[in-house]
Amino acid sequence: MRRLPQGVVAALLVLPSGGYLALFFGLPLLLAFLGSFGLYARGGDGGFTLRHYADLFGTQAYRDGLVFSTYLAIVPTLVSLAISLPLAMGLAQTFPGRKLFNALYKVPLVVPGIVAAFIVMTLFDRGGLAARLLTPIGIDLPKIVRDDWAVGVIIATAWKAVPFMTLIIGGSLGAIQKDIILAARTLGATPLTAFWRIQIPLALPGITAAFLLTFIGGMGAFAVPNLLGPVYPLPLSVHMYVNAFERNNWGLVAAMGTMLSLISVLVLLAYYRTTRSLRTAYGGEVR
Amino acid sequence: MSQITLTGIAKAYGTSVAIAPMDLTVADGEFLTLLGPSGCGKTTLMRMIAGITLPDQGAIRINGRDMAALPPEKRNVGLVFQSYALFPHMTVAANVGFGLKMRGIARDAAAERVRAALALVDLEPLAARYPRELSGGQQQRVALARAIVIEPDVLLLDEPLSNLDAKLREHLREDLRNLQQRLRVTAIYVTHDQAEAMALADRIIVMDKGRIVEEGAPVDLYRAPQTRFAAEFLGQTNVVAVTAAGLLPWNTGVAGPADGMVSIRPEDIAVTPALDGAGRVLSLTFLGPAVEYRIDIGGTVLRARDSGTGTAILPQGTQVDLTLRVPPHPLQGVA
Ligand SMILES: Nc1ncnc2c1ncn2[C@@H]1O[C@H](COP(=O)(O)OP(=O)(O)OP(=O)(O)O)[C@@H](O)[C@H]1O
Ligand SMILES: [Mg+2]
Repeated sequence: MRRLPQGVVAALLVLPSGGYLALFFGLPLLLAFLGSFGLYARGGDGGFTLRHYADLFGTQAYRDGLVFSTYLAIVPTLVSLAISLPLAMGLAQTFPGRKLFNALYKVPLVVPGIVAAFIVMTLFDRGGLAARLLTPIGIDLPKIVRDDWAVGVIIATAWKAVPFMTLIIGGSLGAIQKDIILAARTLGATPLTAFWRIQIPLALPGITAAFLLTFIGGMGAFAVPNLLGPVYPLPLSVHMYVNAFERNNWGLVAAMGTMLSLISVLVLLAYYRTTRSLRTAYGGEVR
Repeated sequence: MSQITLTGIAKAYGTSVAIAPMDLTVADGEFLTLLGPSGCGKTTLMRMIAGITLPDQGAIRINGRDMAALPPEKRNVGLVFQSYALFPHMTVAANVGFGLKMRGIARDAAAERVRAALALVDLEPLAARYPRELSGGQQQRVALARAIVIEPDVLLLDEPLSNLDAKLREHLREDLRNLQQRLRVTAIYVTHDQAEAMALADRIIVMDKGRIVEEGAPVDLYRAPQTRFAAEFLGQTNVVAVTAAGLLPWNTGVAGPADGMVSIRPEDIAVTPALDGAGRVLSLTFLGPAVEYRIDIGGTVLRARDSGTGTAILPQGTQVDLTLRVPPHPLQGVA
């Protein structure tokens, strides 16, 4: 039997996984990227152009949309993280009714986002359940559906994201060997110090995964901000929909999609930088 | 500078008793060794002193001060975990320096103390590595350095040398003893290894099933154990029943209670070949510095160890005479 050159063997070995990735992830991304420059674009004329980016950054509504999309990614994610972290810690303790709570807090996981949005709406909209309950006792609920700060969107997103993040973060906190935390205590760390210096850094992969997944979900969120968000600005996702299906402007859609992806990638890179500096700060790494 | 007093300390996990109510005092500067089979509660006892496991009842005092209300971080107790429990996200130097950081020691002073502690355990060159980049024995030494560097009032060592090779073990054993005496720190040392216990300890506590079976200085405990458990746990021994007439199976008279048990260490039995000897060599094992014989005498099988250099090794089947170098030691309370 003739032996194949090593390079060919290696290529054959990575073909199944590499090919799959290239076909289903790389190719669509590449097409969107090229399309944003007018190349191989659906409905485009095929020549290289910066027109779509000029359009994106030249239009106030789109600029605001880009900022707003980023806002809808960052703020609900931070809010959810602030709730999930203590919740995951708490769930690691034993308390009466823990089993029940453990099952109940996961309920939002199986409720689709659009349903969550409607729940928030019926609860908090003008004349909603909360208003009807609170007005008689003299509490005037601020406007949180279609309000400027998108509080309704934040609530609905966090309602979905908190159990998700808690699950992932709880898993990585739970994987930390108990003796490691106890060792920190015998060396003089208070529970809080042990939390910041031992548990958080060791659970960081889980925390990050939860953070990034929620963040990226927020960048592309469509249904929830469409229902609960303010009239202006609209998130870029909504502009993408309108430009694609009402104006057939696929080049602009590709430019918008590329920008949303770019911001996600930047956040990812920022994350890698932060964990590196955390390693030096916490771990004493000198490399 | 620290005396430890345990009074009526007890711990159960559910219905299984880990430590039965126990009193124990460790003198200031004493090196105490806990010796006992797996699961007898040694680790549990250490964790209660360190404050990371709470006793069900009883009091722990260090220098007369009740520890009940003190969390582990306020006790100044150094604990070397059986599982090492190194911080995986920190370098060796950061691991060792952690306790100093918690105590707010200035950076330069801390770095110098970390360096000295690492030098002590022969790990200076590995200061920048992560725990995952170390062998089991190296990790164990980091754990040791981390506990020592804080200069604790009480040093608790849970099998700190179990993963080292014999040579390093002996070397570190001596260093540890020297260090303990230099720092005059009160130390409790857990081990399975009776040789290690005897080499290190001022006093040995033999434990079984959550209780103290026997205690004493190494020499007393080895030569004159009160219980069969301690006699058998501290090295090898022959436990032989004494007949109602006060005789050993080969019709040698003994002082001590008739109908009782005596302990005879293998090295206290001298084996001499004799054509009309009452004993017969069943088997032999060459151990290097000694030869161990299994000898059948009047239906009883004894272990005898002959360390006489230059004497001939007796082949299997040789008829032998036995003489005891010391009178057999009577054991109490065994059937
Ligand atoms: N967290 C726990 N939950 C339930 N049982 C426990 C727990 N920790 C220890 N035990 C039990 O308590 C008993 C004493 O355990 P301990 O760890 O103190 O033994 P040990 O003497 O240190 O044993 P080894 O020499 O194997 O380390 C054992 O029977 C063990 O199964
Ligand atoms: Mg143990």
